[in-house]
Amino acid sequence: MLDRRFINRFDGWFVVVVLLILSLGVLSIYTVTYAVSPKAHLPVYTKQMIWIFLGLIVFFAVAAIDYHEIARWSTFLYTGCVVLLILVLLVGRTGMGAQRWLSLGFFDLQPSEWAKLVVILVLARYFSTRSRLKGLSLRELIVPALWVTVPLLLVLKQPDLGTALVLLFIFAVLVFLIGLRSRTIGVSILISLMAFPFAWEMFWNALKPYQRNRLIAFINPAVDPMGRGYHALQSKIAIGSGGVFGKGLFGGTQSQLKFLPESHTDFIFSVFAEEWGFMGVLLLLILYFLLIWWGLDVADKAKDHLGVFLAVGVVAMLVFYLAVNIGMTLGVVPVVGVPLPLMSYGGNSILTTLAGLGLLLNIKKRRFMLFY
Amino acid sequence: MKLFQGSSRRTLLTVVLLTAGFLCVVVRLFSLQVVQATELSKRAERQHEKSVVLEGERGTIFDRQGRILATNVEVPSLYAIPSLIRDREAVVPDLARVLQSDRRMILKRLEGNKNFVWIERKVSPAVARSVMELGIEGIGVLNESQRFYPKRNLMGHLLGFAGMDNHGLEGIELKYDPLLRGEKGWVVIQRDAFGHSIFQKELNYVAPSRGKDLVLTIDEVIQHIAETELDAVMEQTRAASGSVIVMNPKTGEILALAVRPAFNPNRIESQHPDQWRNRVVTDAYEPGSTFKIVTASAALEERVAGPGDIFYCEEGRMAVAGGVIRDHEKQGYLTFREVIQKSSNIGMIKIAMRMKDERLYRHIRAFGFGEKTGVDLEGEASGLIRDPKYWSGRSLASISIGQEMAATPLQIITAVSAIANGGALMRPHLVSEIRDADGRVTQAFPPEIKRRAVSPETAGEMMRILEGAVSENGTGSKAAMPGYRVAGKTGTAQKIDPVTKRYSMQDTVSSFVGIVPAEDPRIVVLVVVDNPKGESWGGVVAAPVFKKIAEQVLRYLGVPPRTQERILLTLAG
Repeated sequence: MLDRRFINRFDGWFVVVVLLILSLGVLSIYTVTYAVSPKAHLPVYTKQMIWIFLGLIVFFAVAAIDYHEIARWSTFLYTGCVVLLILVLLVGRTGMGAQRWLSLGFFDLQPSEWAKLVVILVLARYFSTRSRLKGLSLRELIVPALWVTVPLLLVLKQPDLGTALVLLFIFAVLVFLIGLRSRTIGVSILISLMAFPFAWEMFWNALKPYQRNRLIAFINPAVDPMGRGYHALQSKIAIGSGGVFGKGLFGGTQSQLKFLPESHTDFIFSVFAEEWGFMGVLLLLILYFLLIWWGLDVADKAKDHLGVFLAVGVVAMLVFYLAVNIGMTLGVVPVVGVPLPLMSYGGNSILTTLAGLGLLLNIKKRRFMLFY
Repeated sequence: MKLFQGSSRRTLLTVVLLTAGFLCVVVRLFSLQVVQATELSKRAERQHEKSVVLEGERGTIFDRQGRILATNVEVPSLYAIPSLIRDREAVVPDLARVLQSDRRMILKRLEGNKNFVWIERKVSPAVARSVMELGIEGIGVLNESQRFYPKRNLMGHLLGFAGMDNHGLEGIELKYDPLLRGEKGWVVIQRDAFGHSIFQKELNYVAPSRGKDLVLTIDEVIQHIAETELDAVMEQTRAASGSVIVMNPKTGEILALAVRPAFNPNRIESQHPDQWRNRVVTDAYEPGSTFKIVTASAALEERVAGPGDIFYCEEGRMAVAGGVIRDHEKQGYLTFREVIQKSSNIGMIKIAMRMKDERLYRHIRAFGFGEKTGVDLEGEASGLIRDPKYWSGRSLASISIGQEMAATPLQIITAVSAIANGGALMRPHLVSEIRDADGRVTQAFPPEIKRRAVSPETAGEMMRILEGAVSENGTGSKAAMPGYRVAGKTGTAQKIDPVTKRYSMQDTVSSFVGIVPAEDPRIVVLVVVDNPKGESWGGVVAAPVFKKIAEQVLRYLGVPPRTQERILLTLAG
């Protein structure tokens, strides 16, 4: 697998950026959990390092297999994923008010995390065969929309609002990229307008009370600072009290003292910002920016439509997670539980993100090959 | 293959959107971490820092000879950390049994998510031990400083007391609380979101400092004499209440201040708040004949009458403004001197009538009536003396014999002390020095002259007249002491019957105020016995008490009787 050509085209600095972000993540997880790790289990930061190790294997594995080969399996993967999503609703483990996980003993599989990648594969494959310069016809819009809708509804049922939104976002970005015929635009707007009241009704009803509260709290955080607005407020306090230079490693009082909820998962950015300050966060943002830029570069230089669409799908996923997660910790986006890519604790998130990045590397290293 | 199939508009839009997104995040971060950093840091601190106040140890109170009157002892207090108690319901019955208190109250204290609660503070060591023997996890003992008054009842009213948190609540303890209390210290404890205290790398600790010590003007021995004699007369006459003040007339220092019913500051809970009151300063009464000292001094000062002037006392009955004034004894012609000696109301009124309302009022005010004496005790009353504008035709007569006005015992003794002090009115005081923890004097209270009440001549003349009142023929003859020249005045004031609103025949306040030795006054003593049963004359009830107190105090102060002095002088000659 790792032949010389592969190593030559190895984008060294890209891997360095990824590894840097991963290390900063482990460090932040360590500072908030080192004191509370139960003796009987592995410490959280050790588990995270194991996930990263496994994730890097997945990363190289995905990078090694030609993405056309992977795309060929997309229907199979899609079907499997939908089955898993249905299984979750039947026998899934419930945690924090949602039924999202399948217990595999050593590992709680979260099919919704994998659904994003599968949907990217399916959509990219579909669009790569249909797209023409004049844009999508109505039929070419509705068919992939149905591909997305099935997992989307299943995910919303769990409920997992974050994943549902990212599926929508990926779809929207790809459609935007390919473009629509003017007739398609007109008809879809008409359909959307007619369907909106029903869709909104379904959407609002599908939300759990806590999710509605989050939306209300986002619109007016002062409604209930100890209740609905607590997450966002504590996150802002943590980030703001970090100041320009931060409180130093282990010095983050808000995260250390557990005022900050979900500090090692969804709010890891706040932990980092409290301890590293404005300067540290700027550095981190630059790292993420480089990652996105590199992803766009891969899309730009991809040799075929499939490569472009796959790369754009992965980049869209990353951008969505970055924007929603960071926006949430900064109090500019409602609290939607999405992880910060590469930093938040969690096996599913780490594995899927690294798999996505592996796909990018895959596309990049195969841009000159003409063997299919 | 070019991204977006050559559509540069979309490429541009993507790049612009991405860059704008990042810039928004940076701007927001800047706003939080740079602009609002200070404010948000403060919020963070408020959330996780909690300061626990440490009270300083209260200063000691000494008498003028350095005897300890109030000090501190360490006593156990029981606290609980409710979160550590496994089964709250189960421990309550045991606790209630040992503490002998209400179950519901204990349960209430253990409820809630506080990190620390007092179960019972300042308990006996035995109770603390039995609670600890219960072995309940989450319950512990902390030693607290408890105020202790080793002399118990002695001058309880004067000292007052300090409460559960060692804050002065009455008496000297209240008046000098800021000094006695000392500087508070504190520990800043960090706590997490669940309210648990956590240990820190550096403890933010400011030690409390000990309060200042007070040295009183009170002499424990004199106080003891005063209280013993007051107790004796209270028992003998079955009086409702009573008080004794001993003052050094030259300085205004209060040497003793006794109030009955007694009050033990060590057990405030068992005593009615009414008993805490220091009646000597808080309660005004109609002084009656002792007030004639003031009227007589005013007449002398105004030169409207001389000591030898003769007044006809109307055989004990005189009509004044539609009413009748009586004397307790029929008198015919009396000199000014004899009017005081016999305590004739009619004679006194006739003397007072030579003055206008306004003039008498001015002198009464000059003696400090109608204003606070400025003594260093809380809750002082200023008494009652109405402005002449509101006087009726009878007022001059009534006021001249100590009726239709009210004064506190402290005002009376302070005014009489001015006579003993050559006419200079002193500010009465109780604290002579304030010392720091190392015994250095940080503040001293020297004698303070408030004003001149009368001229030295008037004061001298008044002393001679008052000596006459303690002579064989005077109403205060029972105050006479062999070997000492005593000046003084009796007082028997009828109390207003709350039902009839008229002067009662049975309820009286008997008093005597005396100065000794008259030639060089060392002490002034006021004895007030409220509502004695049986004999009620001040000369019979209060004067002997004065005598017993004065004899012992003079012996204690080492003031020799004149006879001895004469014998010594003769021997020497």
